[in-house]
Amino acid sequence: MGNTTDKVKILTEFEGMPNSRALATYQSKGGYSALKKAFAMPSSQIIEEVKQSGLRGRGGAGFPTGLKWSFVPQNIAGPRYLICNNDEGEPGTFKDRYIAELSPHMLVEGMIIAAKAIGATKGYIYTRYEFFDEIRWLETAIKEAYAAGFLGKNILGSGFDFDLDHYTGAGAYICGEETGLISSLEGKKGQPKLKPPFPAVSGYLGKPTVVNNTETFAAVPWIINNGATAYKAIGTEKSPGTKLFSIAGAIKKPGVYELPLGYSFEKLLNEDCGGMLPGRTMKACIPGGASAPILTPEELKGLTLDYEAIAAKGSMLGSGAIMIIDDRMSMVQLMKVIADFYHHESCGQCTPCREGTGWLANIMGGIYDHEGHESDVEKMWTVAKQMGGRTICALSDAAAMPTMAITKKFGDEIREYIKRGTSA
Amino acid sequence: MSDNNTFSPGLQDKIKKELTRYETKRTAILPVLHAIQDECGWVEEKHIEALNSTYGLDRVQVKEVLTFYKAYYQKKPRKHPIQVCDNIVCCMMGANEVIERIEGHIKHLEEKHGDNAAFEVIGVPCLGVCDQAPAIIVNKDRHHKVTVDNVDQILEKYSSLK
Repeated sequence: MGNTTDKVKILTEFEGMPNSRALATYQSKGGYSALKKAFAMPSSQIIEEVKQSGLRGRGGAGFPTGLKWSFVPQNIAGPRYLICNNDEGEPGTFKDRYIAELSPHMLVEGMIIAAKAIGATKGYIYTRYEFFDEIRWLETAIKEAYAAGFLGKNILGSGFDFDLDHYTGAGAYICGEETGLISSLEGKKGQPKLKPPFPAVSGYLGKPTVVNNTETFAAVPWIINNGATAYKAIGTEKSPGTKLFSIAGAIKKPGVYELPLGYSFEKLLNEDCGGMLPGRTMKACIPGGASAPILTPEELKGLTLDYEAIAAKGSMLGSGAIMIIDDRMSMVQLMKVIADFYHHESCGQCTPCREGTGWLANIMGGIYDHEGHESDVEKMWTVAKQMGGRTICALSDAAAMPTMAITKKFGDEIREYIKRGTSA
Repeated sequence: MSDNNTFSPGLQDKIKKELTRYETKRTAILPVLHAIQDECGWVEEKHIEALNSTYGLDRVQVKEVLTFYKAYYQKKPRKHPIQVCDNIVCCMMGANEVIERIEGHIKHLEEKHGDNAAFEVIGVPCLGVCDQAPAIIVNKDRHHKVTVDNVDQILEKYSSLK
């Protein structure tokens, strides 16, 4: 195998550096050299290199990036678009924010290389509305890249044109879904679209479009500079490379950690994060954003942080958002927050999601207000069971998965709350 | 027709710029609404009317964006809207107590100053700063690690009303 799970700084190379966001800082450590290298490569070779690296989409779905790029048909006339999904909204996730804060040029360089690979002439970075400072930093990076000749017409004399603009969302979780994002960018409600056709064939304004997550793009310059083999040597065989994990909750050092995939969960929690806050114990953990099924301390024993290991426990790595639930948090409260959130964010297009999230929020609200019945726990599980795989996008599944896991693994606590009839 | 009475000259320039910035005029709807709200505080019916009559933006298309996205205010908010996150991590780290405190503060101000109370609470999904939980946004400023002990001081920076 020869894979290493030692720490490597790829995405966080600029951590702790003064003026880390500035173009000059980025270039002082070889920034934009990957771009020059990529411009000397045929597009097909760039795609092949990314394919070989095993880089998978870091937004949550984990789809192989190079493969996604290869789906763009080269024989369709007209423009192709490249979009960065920087609409980080999955509760618990705050790792893309860190890239904007640390090295926005890494994202910009990754996007230009991707644009060259798929033949896109126009790109957008779509950022969630509430990231006010981050948006400013990204816009500054774009301006700097234009001034340095890395964006615009005939980039570095290559004859390749690529324009990049920034677009600000307006407070809708659903726009993190790639086709919802495209709808939003078209100036419409952020409603996801039925696939197929996939965006690679018919995306923004009906043109071939690739949408990748911020972290995915940011990994590209390193892969081009160091080669697919070097990237593949990090992490595990099936989950190569490093991943940003955003970890939060009642722990001593919450934050963003860049770790090789396959890193030990216990090591992250107890060594890197310094363990739990004094007097708190871990009751459970949500390993990949609010939609990931919750894991018990028993299930977390010996867990490694990679796509396969977490899937084997019945949950998912998702966006790499780890939330440590401590003993002071009631599962009734947790379930209520999750149910309310998805109900609020359902776009309303598909009945199983619109009605299902409504049912979950209603039943959970009743339980929370001490008007619940013991059978409600079972009822929630049954409603959730019928919400998966029946809708245009995965929001319905995202609401159903944590509900099924919480009602199954912590059903007794919720039933106890209902029986007691008083505040938890 | 002129929109002289609806938008300031500066805002007119901004709107015009946004309308030609993207591939289609429609793509500009979100940025145009952001620009209006940034200057006027909210988006009202007369704005939609002017966008239609002066710039040819479809009323229905504008309205569906305005009503779908939570970032737009369809009624005039008080001077300092407070967005409070009560999602998973913020909730674990004490957001509910903070919200209660803020609401108490506002209630007190309302009793004395009525609708001039300056603040109002607006719910918001996860703000993406869970490592700094609980988080709130006042106007466009994000405040981290808010507690029942420091929230009064934060609010006092925005309004001297007691």
